[in-house]
Amino acid sequence: MFRSSNIVSRIFERQIRTPAPGTSVHCARQFYENLVPSCTIYDIECPDHSFRKFTDDGRYLISFSRNHQDLIVYRPTWLSFSCKEEDCDFHDLPSKAKRFESFFTQLYCVSLASSNELICKDFFLYVESNQFGLFATSTAQIHDAPAIGGAIQGVPSIEKITFHLVRLEDGVILDEKVFCNDFVNLAHNMGVFLYDDLLAIVSIRYQTIHILQIRDSGNLVDVRAIGAFCREDDELFLNSHAQCMVFVDKSKQHDLSANQVENGLQSHQNMPGTPFLSGIKQRLLSFIFRGIWNEETDHTMRVQCLKKKFYFHFQDYVDLSMSKVQFLDRHHLLIKFGSVDGGVSRNTDHHPAFFAVYNMETTEVIAFYQNSADELYFLFEQFCDHFHATSRNLLYMNFISSHSNNIHALEQLRGIKNKSSSFSQFVKKMLTSLPFSCQSQSPSPYFDQCLFRFDEKLISAADRHRQSTDHPIKFISRKHPNSLKFKIKPGPEAGGLDGRTKKISSFLFHPFLPLALSIQQTFLQPSVVNIHFRR
Amino acid sequence: MSRGMSYPSSSAGIGAAGLGGGGGGGGGGGGRSWPSTTSVSASGKRIQKEMQEFNVDPPTDCSAGPKGDNLYQWISTIIGPPGTPYQGGIFFLDITFPHDYPFKPPKVVFKTRIYHCNVDAEGNLSLGILKDGWSPALTISKVLLAIRSIFSNPDPNTPLVSGIARLYLTDRAKHDEIAAEWTMRFAR
Repeated sequence: MFRSSNIVSRIFERQIRTPAPGTSVHCARQFYENLVPSCTIYDIECPDHSFRKFTDDGRYLISFSRNHQDLIVYRPTWLSFSCKEEDCDFHDLPSKAKRFESFFTQLYCVSLASSNELICKDFFLYVESNQFGLFATSTAQIHDAPAIGGAIQGVPSIEKITFHLVRLEDGVILDEKVFCNDFVNLAHNMGVFLYDDLLAIVSIRYQTIHILQIRDSGNLVDVRAIGAFCREDDELFLNSHAQCMVFVDKSKQHDLSANQVENGLQSHQNMPGTPFLSGIKQRLLSFIFRGIWNEETDHTMRVQCLKKKFYFHFQDYVDLSMSKVQFLDRHHLLIKFGSVDGGVSRNTDHHPAFFAVYNMETTEVIAFYQNSADELYFLFEQFCDHFHATSRNLLYMNFISSHSNNIHALEQLRGIKNKSSSFSQFVKKMLTSLPFSCQSQSPSPYFDQCLFRFDEKLISAADRHRQSTDHPIKFISRKHPNSLKFKIKPGPEAGGLDGRTKKISSFLFHPFLPLALSIQQTFLQPSVVNIHFRR
Repeated sequence: MSRGMSYPSSSAGIGAAGLGGGGGGGGGGGGRSWPSTTSVSASGKRIQKEMQEFNVDPPTDCSAGPKGDNLYQWISTIIGPPGTPYQGGIFFLDITFPHDYPFKPPKVVFKTRIYHCNVDAEGNLSLGILKDGWSPALTISKVLLAIRSIFSNPDPNTPLVSGIARLYLTDRAKHDEIAAEWTMRFAR
């Protein structure tokens, strides 16, 4: 049946036809083909901030001052202007309207960083239910930090990392959480995951996953720390029974208490120099052990098997370090284990890595996979959206395209799969995206691959900086492959003066309005901000 | 018996100190590149032989094997015996063979926390046969069997942690309850 893409006929059709069951939202979203951010104001005069993101509910635009000290929050407003002549639609916008202030109203500016701390501009999480924002400030990294007090070797140290919980309505700082002499991977929210009101923060240096709860009252409350211990009261339990334990070496006991005082700000601490496996490693190793034990029924065969598969690699398993984590639901965590280098450096391709599913309520490891496991890849291919555990309060968050919910994305994935020379290499490459980074994808309908086709090398829903060219990025209708719907061109209208200099672009799309910002940065030059909107 | 064995053990000790150093570290893997006249290869041969015997007839609920390619560093797993407060627990143990093995006993350390009067707060295990009662006739299978038996029958008369031993003797039910709680928290 012929369906017009003319907006008037679409509205008329909406009036007279009931869409097929379960497709009403899809039908409504088709209107985005007609409402596109096709109009661009180039190099708009705007405050010199680094613009971070629209919140997922579209209420706020988050930006930071260039000196990385202040948070400046804007409210997106729709452009309005008056015009004297009659058919003002065909005129150019009045110059008064071509201002940043016509689109965004500054709500407030608050100082987050103090003295030697700086705001991590790559880090921001939005607690949609309460309109809270989570920000991070930190001091500089020390690369050759000695591994003291239970810290692991080879991980840089940051003297102070502070997480700030801000009420975005009025900019009031509600609570703070400080980590001292620790390392949390803050770039692109990698080391922190938010699920509903639960926050998981991975301390790579102390190999601990801190679970915090964000209360409605605006407090950050420690729920548990997974690492040296599994249950929240394990340490207390151990200490309360320590009275009846006789310490062999009294001096060791003194060291222990001194270290705990030193790290006073750190509520959960590994016992320095403990001879025992950490709580999470005990769970992991016993899971692997039981798997091999139960696989083989003959005791002699089983012992042979354990020798080859388990004891031989025992130290490698013990040396694994937790590098990233995500929630799968309120109880289950997907934890990536790898070598220490893999946790810190970005390039993790060459390091062996493992994934564990851990139930933090029962403190059990439920599954364990190597990063070349076909089984995990097939789960990832078919049920990718289950890994994208985000808040489902906003309906449109369900429409972020993935290869599990979108045929075009799946075709693209299959294309890469068929092209790759080795399947196991392909699996490894795909699984590097697990665990997913929190809130790293824009829910904008213009990235819905059912509606538009675009070059993913140049632009995509993923929140990343990209190298940009002087050519505009085309968004082509998925249904009518020859119909160009709109273009997004970052940088000055005339293109760069020098075509050879490297330009980096980032794109901030409003979650549901036809409104986007493109920011192009060229080395040693002020950034160029364009506003893309629908007139 | 132990007197008779003390002579060769001391001479072997000199040989080991002169050669291996570092207590079994750094891959003294069965004396591959070592001069074969010393006790290192002798102990290596013995451990190898024990490993073969162990693989043919492993003790119930026990398993063990060398960690990586180092023959002198083993890991063993003992499953908490049913009917004891350690039931449901998986206990990992580090076993370090001295270079003058079998004239000196192996050193066994718990890597998993356990509430037991014969295991101290550092995981060290006190067991007669691993100290004065050691005999070169003993094997790793027998050691593991002995360790497994103290899960069911702790020895409160020669304890490392007197508090736990006292509780074991005075209030067995309370002791078992605490031990089961430890197993549930730290050994699963």
